[in-house]
Amino acid sequence: MIQDYLILSIILFCIGILGVVSRRNVLIIFMSIELMLNAANLAFIAFSRLHLSMDGHVLAMMVMAVAAAEAALALAVVILLHKHKGKLDSNVFSLLKG
Amino acid sequence: MEHSVSYLGLIPLFPLIGAVVLGVMHIDTCTRRKLPEKLYGVLACIGPVISFIYALVVFFQLKSMPADSRFLIHDAFTWFSVGDLHITMGFLADPLSSLMLLFVTFIGSLIHIYSVGYMAGDENFGKFFSYMNLFLGSMLILVLGSGPVVMFVGWEGVGLCSYLLISFYSKDTDNVLAGNKAFIVNRIGDLGFVLGMAFLFWAIGSGGFDYLSLRENAHQLAPGIGLTICLLLFVGACGKSAQIPLFVWLPDAMAGPTPVSALIHAATMVTAGVYMVARFSFIYAEVPLAGSIVAWTGILTALLAAIFAMFQRDIKKILAYSTVSQLGYMFAGVGVAAYSAGIFHVFTHAFFKALLFLGAGAVIYALHHEQDIWKMGGLKEKMPKTYWTMLIGALALAGCPPFAGFFSKDEILFSALATGHTGIWIIGVTVAGMTAYYSFRMIFLVFHGTPRNKESFNHAEDAPGVMTIPLIILAVGALFAGFLNLPALFGGNLNVSHWLAPSLADHHPHVGISVELLAVAASVIAFAIGITVSYRKFGQGADEPEYSGFTEFCYNKFYIDELYHAVLVRPYKAVGSVIWKFFEPNVTDIHVKIATWLYQKAGTAFKVFQVGYVRVYAIYMVIGLSIMSLLLSQSLN
Repeated sequence: MIQDYLILSIILFCIGILGVVSRRNVLIIFMSIELMLNAANLAFIAFSRLHLSMDGHVLAMMVMAVAAAEAALALAVVILLHKHKGKLDSNVFSLLKG
Repeated sequence: MEHSVSYLGLIPLFPLIGAVVLGVMHIDTCTRRKLPEKLYGVLACIGPVISFIYALVVFFQLKSMPADSRFLIHDAFTWFSVGDLHITMGFLADPLSSLMLLFVTFIGSLIHIYSVGYMAGDENFGKFFSYMNLFLGSMLILVLGSGPVVMFVGWEGVGLCSYLLISFYSKDTDNVLAGNKAFIVNRIGDLGFVLGMAFLFWAIGSGGFDYLSLRENAHQLAPGIGLTICLLLFVGACGKSAQIPLFVWLPDAMAGPTPVSALIHAATMVTAGVYMVARFSFIYAEVPLAGSIVAWTGILTALLAAIFAMFQRDIKKILAYSTVSQLGYMFAGVGVAAYSAGIFHVFTHAFFKALLFLGAGAVIYALHHEQDIWKMGGLKEKMPKTYWTMLIGALALAGCPPFAGFFSKDEILFSALATGHTGIWIIGVTVAGMTAYYSFRMIFLVFHGTPRNKESFNHAEDAPGVMTIPLIILAVGALFAGFLNLPALFGGNLNVSHWLAPSLADHHPHVGISVELLAVAASVIAFAIGITVSYRKFGQGADEPEYSGFTEFCYNKFYIDELYHAVLVRPYKAVGSVIWKFFEPNVTDIHVKIATWLYQKAGTAFKVFQVGYVRVYAIYMVIGLSIMSLLLSQSLN
């Protein structure tokens, strides 16, 4: 029973990782990160149910709050990036190249 | 404790505070409007004058004590304490330091007052007095220090001020080089002093490292160690007091302003070496051989410097060499265990040499910085006050009875003769004649005869009162200071020697009155011969002679500067440039170079990972996290 939830969570997480790694659009990368966060949430809730404890719920709520705050900031960053270069291609932003 | 007083530490403190205040004022006003010179002048003179008043207080308090326990101490604070070595910032006033204290503060105050006139209009007026006050404070620490370490603090302080003031007119490279020379030569001497102190501590320092304790333990010294300590300390004294072989810096030190030459390079600082030997008289008294070396070095320096002085043409250089020569006398005095005679000569010399320098300063001031005596002449009628005061100074320097220099010099020569150092006595008498010759050569060429440079002669006049009054006071000192230590032969009772006796390990030989008469007669005859020869040659006005052969050799100071330059300075510089060009880049710096090279290579190697794309960094993170998870799961199993 619990395995099903965890497998779903892992699948979602891997999709998120693949999205971050393979997509170049900044907005899609951002959505993939959200997906990873929610995969983690699902795992929390599943374990919480398994152990009949509320700890997992608390953490899930907190992750959601953090995700909301992060979304606000990240979207602002995305807008600024767009203003700066006129594009949302993450390969354009490569100032850290050694 | 009745010997403990709390105001001794204040004596050096006043000039030091003055130095800080004046320095801050000078720096503060450099960029903004200037403060009036009067304000600086008054502030500069306050510190020395207060110190002088305190010096009088100390003197009278000591006088009221019984003769065998005359000392005052003040331990301000513990400076540092390492193992057996406990150094207190302590001050000691005993008859020796109180005498030094009196004339250092007295002459220091007079020269500060004189400088207010001499330095008027200089753009660095405040800086000058800041340095002068700092000098006086350091000198007082040197004199009052209760042990060798505190003395060394003052010793280095006066060396620093000497350097700063020699290169005071720093726009001229020669002056800066002269300052460097003085500083470097003094460092060589200081090395001797430091080593001597270290040996002294190692030998007898465990019972306390101040003069009073050292004095009690001095008898424990093994003769060999004692000799080593004495000679090392004497190297320090040679550096500071310009004796063979380290005398070369003093004539060059005349590059500084004339009041500096008077205060530092004639009256006070250069006598620190003599003071130090007298301070350690309890060690020198144990080792007669060291005393003989000191005496012979001194008298040979006196001879050499007197020869140089006879041929110089720069009025300040003549006085500089005469200072070196007189310092030689002082060392001859302390070398033959006549410490009080040496210190008494320090005392009288301070008066007449300061007087001569300040008089020379007045002449230079009047002639708009002309220092060549062959371009002066006939100034007697234009500058009567300067003439008469300088004449008194010259008579005192030349050893004419009854001026100050006669009694003190005679005391030294008599002691040399009485202790059986006949060679030293003969050279000493010869030098006395030469001294009379060169001091009156200067007087005759500057003040008598016809003016050699009409234009500057016509503008010459006596300096303002702020400069002539110190001259007159010093002239009175040069005239009468000798009577303080009148020997029994002239109906006196050696007051100064008796006053100094508790601090010094004086050795008084008992000889007949005939020896004393012989010494006096020889001195007077030498003086008479010197002044007669001088009058014959220069009295009626003279033209500059052409030097050739031996006289040219003397005129060029035996080429000693050139010799030092060729033998010491140039090889040193050559070694330095080899080290700089080869040794340093290839040996000492090689480790640093290898380290930086490695970092550079490593950086280049790792650079390929920094592609700049966010998603690649995300892959790195995933890989890293995967490895960590794998390791974690394995360790859990």
